[in-house]
Amino acid sequence: MALELNKLSGQVDQMGQAIAERFNRHRQLIEQAQAMLAEHAQVSDELRAKIRQAHDVDQSWRGAEPLGERLDERHTPAGAVQPAGAVPSAILIAADGSQIYPDRHAIATYYLLNTGSIVLRQGSGQAPSVKSIPQIFFEDSDLYDETGRLLDPEQINRQRDHLELAALAELAEAERSALGGDIAQTILTLSDGPLLPWMPQRTANDALRQEVGYLAGQFTRLQRARAIPVGFVDRPGSAYVLRTLELAGQNVEQINRQTVRSGKFRLLTDRLFAGLAPNQRSGMFASTSEINDRFGEQGQRVAFFYANMGHRPGLQNAVIARIEMPVWAARDPSTLDTAQNAIYQDCALNGFPYVLGRAHELAVVGTVERANLEAMLGQAMLRCGITPATSAKAEYKRLMAARRR
Amino acid sequence: MSDQPIMVGRVLRSSTTNFSIGCTRLIAEQNQMAPEFGALVKALSSDGSVAYGLIYNETIEDDAFVRQLVAAGVDNEEYIEDQRQNRQIPIVVDVLVVGFGRGTDIFHRLPPQPPGTLDRIYACNNAELVRFSARHDWLRTVLAAADAPADQLLAAALRRAAQARSPDQRESYLVGAGRELARLLAADLTRLDGILQQLR
Repeated sequence: MALELNKLSGQVDQMGQAIAERFNRHRQLIEQAQAMLAEHAQVSDELRAKIRQAHDVDQSWRGAEPLGERLDERHTPAGAVQPAGAVPSAILIAADGSQIYPDRHAIATYYLLNTGSIVLRQGSGQAPSVKSIPQIFFEDSDLYDETGRLLDPEQINRQRDHLELAALAELAEAERSALGGDIAQTILTLSDGPLLPWMPQRTANDALRQEVGYLAGQFTRLQRARAIPVGFVDRPGSAYVLRTLELAGQNVEQINRQTVRSGKFRLLTDRLFAGLAPNQRSGMFASTSEINDRFGEQGQRVAFFYANMGHRPGLQNAVIARIEMPVWAARDPSTLDTAQNAIYQDCALNGFPYVLGRAHELAVVGTVERANLEAMLGQAMLRCGITPATSAKAEYKRLMAARRR
Repeated sequence: MSDQPIMVGRVLRSSTTNFSIGCTRLIAEQNQMAPEFGALVKALSSDGSVAYGLIYNETIEDDAFVRQLVAAGVDNEEYIEDQRQNRQIPIVVDVLVVGFGRGTDIFHRLPPQPPGTLDRIYACNNAELVRFSARHDWLRTVLAAADAPADQLLAAALRRAAQARSPDQRESYLVGAGRELARLLAADLTRLDGILQQLR
């Protein structure tokens, strides 16, 4: 056994204590933040000026711009579906991707992307349509960038995300077309995670423009098909609204690069909304990030709200998610209500959308499947007269792992 | 039972005395039979021989996802159909080998080789069932089965064999089978009585 757990017992005890202390400290801070929210709930011109100021003094500042009148808004959608209530009728399309990264110790250099998708027609009583599309990349032009370097995981992840979004757009177009032009039927496409991509600050402007162009282009395809792209962020770790709240308690003159980076709420997530009732949502916000501005330039600015997707009342049963969608969809209250009800209904199992769970299951490539794929590849190489061989290091690891089993 | 060849599933694992089939659903569809306890099925080998067997057990596997759906009391038709039709959890059907065929001959003894992995398994039609059960030697193989619920299996298989015959032949067929059972179980009248009770 490589991990000697007995040597960790002291550290684990300390860790448990530290987690408990941090939890209590954060709880006090959340209470302070909730008091501030009550005090500064009204969205004023002054608050908007402060948000602009924070954005100007620090381009990397990511706060939340409120799109409504108050920061403490709460909405329960019209026609809200109770657990035993009527079934909403939306078409939910979800896609997820999985990958095998290139490994220079493997028998060959390649990478694999597998895109799983599901189309669930709520209220139809029919089995959803499911699909998974594996693609293997092995040509030099696939594997190396223009500088001759092997693609890194970040680049492969981006390609995987593109395939997911393209699959969603394609399926949404097919569904709309199958409906014979009926635009009354709500179609939602769900992605696991935010709609806005995370791009490292070092990303070159051209690459950034290209990435935003591609993603916003897919959103536009969905918009034309009257389908709403939704990003579902489970257990969100962001603090957009808290950062904005922090500004509310400061004077405009106090806001500088130093103060926006050192706020007392900066380590908290938006647990501010843990008190939402089942199927209740917060007000609507938009991230102030530069990348969202770029999406805005393409008519695809992204908005978000927090909602409790748990089906049982009580603080301890709340399952708070951040739900993102383009502003063009979020602006219409009735569309928003229908979308929220449909997502909430699909979260009946444990607060996470069933369709996203299944899309993941359809996409995920396990170690056994990878081993089977490489065995197939080894046979294909042998048929062409090449003896497949892993590196000495990989062989060592394989032998050690076999012994541990 | 239709006279068309109907596939039940494919072989997952096999031995000389029994084999297991994986199939995806318990509902009969076009070209797909719902596996039923006591049904006679056959595996076709590449050398032209046929192994015959009786279905004696069906296992529906679960996983954590299915357990959670049940525990949460989710009653959504789309989810249930998704689990039943799309998720790759096979139903395992166990078959007791009771004979084999070569050309037009049928032998009530174990085949020279078991079916191979992923071989197709078909349901036998009425004519094949009548032909296979024309003699009673296979009853001994079932009675001796250690892993199968032999008595219930025998009763179910005999009922199906009688049903495959024309109405005027059913009773005489069962009487003949009963006489053979009485001979085989002469030393165990309690067991014989149990089987005969199930045939009524």
